[in-house]
Amino acid sequence: MLSVENITVCYGQMKALREVSLEVSTGQMVALIGANGSGKSTLINAISGLVPIAGGEITWEGQTLKGLTPDNICREGIIQVPEGRKLFPAMTVEENLIMGAYHPNVRKQAQESLQKVFSTFPRIADRRRQFAGSLSGGEQQMVALGRALMAKPRLLMLDEPSLGLSPKAAAEIFDIIRGLNKEGMTILLVSQEVMQTLAITTYGYVLENGVLALKDSCDRLLEDPKVKTSYLGL
Amino acid sequence: MDAVLIIQSLISGIMMGMVYALLGVGFSLTWGVMHVINISHGAFGLLGAYMAYSLLQYFGVDPIVSAAVSVPLLFLVACGIYQLLIRPITRAQNVVMASMILTFGLAIILENVMAIIWKADPRVLTPTYSSGALILGPFYFQYPHVVGFGLSLAGITAIYLFLKKTYTGMAVRAAWQQPEAARLYGVNLYWISMITFALAVSTAGAGGICLALLNSFEPHSHNLWLINLFLVVIVGGVGNVIGTALAGLIIGVITGLSMAFLPFLWVNLVTFGLLMIFLIFRPHGIFKQEGI
Repeated sequence: MLSVENITVCYGQMKALREVSLEVSTGQMVALIGANGSGKSTLINAISGLVPIAGGEITWEGQTLKGLTPDNICREGIIQVPEGRKLFPAMTVEENLIMGAYHPNVRKQAQESLQKVFSTFPRIADRRRQFAGSLSGGEQQMVALGRALMAKPRLLMLDEPSLGLSPKAAAEIFDIIRGLNKEGMTILLVSQEVMQTLAITTYGYVLENGVLALKDSCDRLLEDPKVKTSYLGL
Repeated sequence: MDAVLIIQSLISGIMMGMVYALLGVGFSLTWGVMHVINISHGAFGLLGAYMAYSLLQYFGVDPIVSAAVSVPLLFLVACGIYQLLIRPITRAQNVVMASMILTFGLAIILENVMAIIWKADPRVLTPTYSSGALILGPFYFQYPHVVGFGLSLAGITAIYLFLKKTYTGMAVRAAWQQPEAARLYGVNLYWISMITFALAVSTAGAGGICLALLNSFEPHSHNLWLINLFLVVIVGGVGNVIGTALAGLIIGVITGLSMAFLPFLWVNLVTFGLLMIFLIFRPHGIFKQEGI
């Protein structure tokens, strides 16, 4: 479905990613793990079209995404929940969600999708008229997820969805993500929570300093001595 | 002091303030959303006023009617200016500074073009009802003031509804609050910037027409208007539409009252003393950052 082939991304002189490849197929939930600064966010921002790629190619259902701007990539159904949630703080919860259905392909179904999101996340339904900036971290993450669902993603990319959340809220978010995948959503999950992430995904990629260090099924990654020492502290 | 005079000047101040609010909202939006401080904002307002003047003078078209033509026309002109001049500088390192220099130049060009076309003499808009007045008990309001106030109120309401109820308007707010997330959900920032800029310029035109119903104007009047715009936006909070509108009203009232009770030379001293106080104590405005 999505295939990233040997992409390189530079920030000025610095190479943030060096010839990284990755595959996500329909219905799969793939993990992308690595330490802070290893290039995980850069990779999904490159897929979203937020950062230009200096080499390599990203293809989506056989077609290149080269030259497409973020709004065009969003229209293809590749939807990112950015790190730190990046809600619109001075807009209400409902307005944030409605903005998720901004692109014309899904705008007509916005009201329908809104009801669906509210039934998935009853807690934010109660807060629909509040400013998004006034919610707790867990609730904000639900709004961020809800906003992404409003866009009817065909590939959902989540960047550190549990960052800054209490362990309880984080567990809740991971449950929701697993549920979405069970219903058939294709997901690329970026996280530093290696244990929790590998527990719910099937295949994983490990980035180190902008280079792909490992890729394997999650069961085997959990057994890998390098993953154990570097990421699980075992 | 005379209660009637106080109330009269209070209401006159509100009328004046509403016009400044309409002028200020667009100025605030381009500043907040695009980081473009449009020094030529007042000059575009003045252009709107002159267009209304000519249409009234030579074709007898009432300013309210001609606004229906000149405001959309300014919108289109602004789209062109955005593509030609503003869009290239939004890639600059320091957009705020680059935009101020560019639009300062634009303001000078506009001022001189207006001076060539309409001459440097002061002009007044004199629609058919200009000698009439609305008399409510002891209070007395000239019709042009009432019309200018009504038009401003309608303009601000329209902007508010646009920002609050339409998808494009919501995208304008989203792009201001969190541009990266807006892009991720399909907002084309260039398109939204163009709409914002054009909306700002066309509402400046509408505001200019309203102001021309209240005061006389000449090609360099926009300089004074601009200083008042800074005042309104700094008091109301950059990018905050409701804040800007309320700040316009507050400043209108303060100006109105000081005009009634202070020697003329003191009026600007009071309003700009206020600006200094704001810049020192509440540089983000009287309202919270949140707004529309």
